[in-house]
Amino acid sequence: MPPITTRPLFCRYLAQCRMMAVSMENFIKHTKVQVAKISPDLTESVAKEELQQSCDNFFRENIYLAGKSITEKAVERVVDGDTILIYKKSQLILHILLEAKARNKNFRVMVVDSRPDLSGVQSCERLTAAGIPCSYVYINSCTYVMKKVTKVMLAADALLANGYVLGPVGTALIGLISSTYNKPVIVCCETYKFSERVQTDSILYNELADPDSMLKTLNEEDTPVSNWRDCPNTRLVNLVYDTTPPALVSIVITEIAELPCTSAPVVLRRGAVKM
Amino acid sequence: MDPFLLKKITRDTKSQLEEFALYLSENKNERRSYVSVVKTINVFRDLICTAEWVTGRELIKIVKCYCKYLPLSQSNETDVSNVVRRILKIIREESVGPEATNSADGISAFFKTDIKPCNLGRSDLQDNILNSIVELLAELDTSKSNIVNMALEHIHSNERILTYGHSNTIRDFLLYGRKARDFEVIVCESGPSLKGHKMAAELSEGGIKTTVIADSAAFAIIHAVNKVIIGTHTIMADGALRATNGVHQVAMAAKFFSVPVIVCAPLYKLSPTHLCSYDPDAFNKVIGPEKMLNFSNANLHSKVLISNPDFDYVPSDLIELFITNTGGHAPSYLYRIISELYHPEDYDLDNMCVEDVEDEMAT
Repeated sequence: MPPITTRPLFCRYLAQCRMMAVSMENFIKHTKVQVAKISPDLTESVAKEELQQSCDNFFRENIYLAGKSITEKAVERVVDGDTILIYKKSQLILHILLEAKARNKNFRVMVVDSRPDLSGVQSCERLTAAGIPCSYVYINSCTYVMKKVTKVMLAADALLANGYVLGPVGTALIGLISSTYNKPVIVCCETYKFSERVQTDSILYNELADPDSMLKTLNEEDTPVSNWRDCPNTRLVNLVYDTTPPALVSIVITEIAELPCTSAPVVLRRGAVKM
Repeated sequence: MDPFLLKKITRDTKSQLEEFALYLSENKNERRSYVSVVKTINVFRDLICTAEWVTGRELIKIVKCYCKYLPLSQSNETDVSNVVRRILKIIREESVGPEATNSADGISAFFKTDIKPCNLGRSDLQDNILNSIVELLAELDTSKSNIVNMALEHIHSNERILTYGHSNTIRDFLLYGRKARDFEVIVCESGPSLKGHKMAAELSEGGIKTTVIADSAAFAIIHAVNKVIIGTHTIMADGALRATNGVHQVAMAAKFFSVPVIVCAPLYKLSPTHLCSYDPDAFNKVIGPEKMLNFSNANLHSKVLISNPDFDYVPSDLIELFITNTGGHAPSYLYRIISELYHPEDYDLDNMCVEDVEDEMAT
């Protein structure tokens, strides 16, 4: 991505509000290519319509239909008697599990959640509403429950060119524990999330969320570090992402194929050729 | 209480023993290890002084009878059980006599089930036992300062140290290191109890630059950390740990990036028990989930199985070094320390020796 001052105004504004996700950057790149492709003979209204059409196509092909295709492939992997471990809340993973239940598969779900956002509670609500038996633990207890789990399904925020999976913070820990206990780790990721960036650790490129959200407790009490801004020695760090090494992931399910993590550059090259 | 025990103790002692058993069953989660250990020694010291016994073997039988009455099989009580084992070892040593302990025969005498009584009468034997117990108390008193004084050997300047949750020993260890060295500490907040926040507040008051991170971020930052220093609830016989929930995965992440894991714990936490089952429920204790999920989500509470385990089993191959009050030890050396601290007959406190069983069957 070019530096912030040379980007078009709307990108600059978005980037100032919050760091852009990899998928957003990919979409902006795609749109720029479409803008460049528009022939100069067309009138403004026709050109705008074409661009809108290309945006809708992007959504339909890369997000909506890709999600359906991944669901089809992933549902095959859910068998009767499974206990599937999921981490926090992901639309795609929930969709897969609800679809599996709709096809009358008999399985349990272990929802692993972590502070500070605790979005796993919403996963529990959606799964229990569909009648899927659920268990709920915090990420500290992941080793306690891992024996009973048969598969682990994780969602990714991005797949990097060197095979590392960028996901919500804690994904790497789950990948590590699962591979130590020899449980298959299935990552579901659409191809629009593939990125050319390479990274070997989680700190170089990450986002810091609001540190005060770490102070939120369930019964609204203060924690001993609630006055951290007054203490010069205390800092709260609330990471958003972390990178999982490819050795800890068994398979990545995308809409075009089921791949190992290390095939990420192949998909990127294919995408570049298509554009 | 056992009728045999009741015959041998006075009424005052009986009420004191009952009070102690009650103390152990209450306040399990808030009890400080060191305080309960000192209390245990005082209770047993009174028992030794006031109970009716003539030989060392009788005294051991009385102590073991009382142990059956205490809730020692609970996973929280390992510090109490370990101290009782130390007291039993003291009784055995004093009963065999000083000459026997020094000679080569003395070593084999330890491992025989029958204790050859030496010629000491009850009052002399009792004096010797009480003197040794005073030495034990002195050892326990200095155990924390011995560990803390080793801080400068293990922390160097500009280091980043990761710790997990709250531990009084680790806090004092790091604060002692701060007196001479400048370093940073990263604390995992250890949900859902959030004890890590308390640790961070205490460390930053002591002048250490502290960063609090969520437990899920442990893998993300551990490659940038120089070492992991943690405390534990219990050390098992093979060098494994029973530690706070969440320590196992931090140790696994540390192993992945080859970051050394150092455990600081006094020796009264070293227990001669092994992990007997890989079934997590056999090893662990589950506490209430109200800190994990609010009761305002009551509809979920009834439909979802929520687990909040208290402990974590950390295998010994993930641990680099134990820093104890007797110095630093590798996990592989702990078996030797156990054989010096405890007698094999006492590893299982419910175990009565053959002669006692025969006596009981005769009566």
